[in-house]
Amino acid sequence: MAGTRVAGLVIGIVFGVVLSWSGMTSPNVIREGLLFQSSYLFLFFGGAVTTAFVGLWLLRRRAPRALLTGEPVQWETIKPERRHIAGSLIFGIGWGVSGACPGPIATQLGQGIAWGIPTTVGLVLGIVLFDRLQARAQAAPKRAPAASVIPSPVAADASA
Amino acid sequence: MLHSQLPWFIGGPILGLCVVAMRWLMNERLGVMGAWSDVVHTVAARRLSFGPFGWMLFGLIAGAAAFALVAGGPDFHGYGWLTDTFTGPNGTLIIVAILLASGVLIGLGTKIAGGCTSGNGLSGNAMASPASLVATMTFFVTGIAVTLITEALI
Repeated sequence: MAGTRVAGLVIGIVFGVVLSWSGMTSPNVIREGLLFQSSYLFLFFGGAVTTAFVGLWLLRRRAPRALLTGEPVQWETIKPERRHIAGSLIFGIGWGVSGACPGPIATQLGQGIAWGIPTTVGLVLGIVLFDRLQARAQAAPKRAPAASVIPSPVAADASA
Repeated sequence: MLHSQLPWFIGGPILGLCVVAMRWLMNERLGVMGAWSDVVHTVAARRLSFGPFGWMLFGLIAGAAAFALVAGGPDFHGYGWLTDTFTGPNGTLIIVAILLASGVLIGLGTKIAGGCTSGNGLSGNAMASPASLVATMTFFVTGIAVTLITEALI
């Protein structure tokens, strides 16, 4: 459906401008936040989560149908599993070292920052690696107990 | 910073409204890792029929490009502590290797955790998801610890 694609594009543009204008694209700003030298990162993140939380709460109470797709606006949440901790540990190491996460990696590319290229290549390799691990865990679930933190495709879809 | 930084109480809420818009328009959880996955999987299947998430990634890149054009250049020069620490002829090579490895950890880790800073941290917490709360606490604590360790080593 073309409408959802246009909406995705517009939301992405707004997101990209804000991630640039706020300085979130810069590893310096992220690092200053994680070193507690600046409160901006935490205030920015807190302001975003609070706004989204209130907005979604109001939306859920009204329980409308989605404006573009017509499906009921609703969602389910899941309890924490090992993979949420294991995966976020791995991610946190990369984030702490590079000062970048998936959004800022995209905005680094957009701003023409060449250092974003190796991070992007790594990110894509990480996705491919995950797909391989997932396929292997699906093919031989009993022989790959170590891969149990790899979510099944169904679980990955409902990962929140 | 080559420009005045957008105040957090404006930038943060706008990102929050993006999450609400994604839900209200198409009942989806906004997550940038989902956007990367859509593009990677669509291209890997030798197709160009990107979904809303793929288009969101293009929007992110386009928005940042437009910003750089208006601001007269990228938001920063060098690459923070990495270009400060690793100088000389081998410096660039070392940094490229470090960023490549970081990218793999970011890609693999967020896929295993089912979300990144936006998918779990922003959207998942706004959805009051216990799994996202645990994921967010984990990557923030890990990120802070790793940053402190690297700061102590250099």
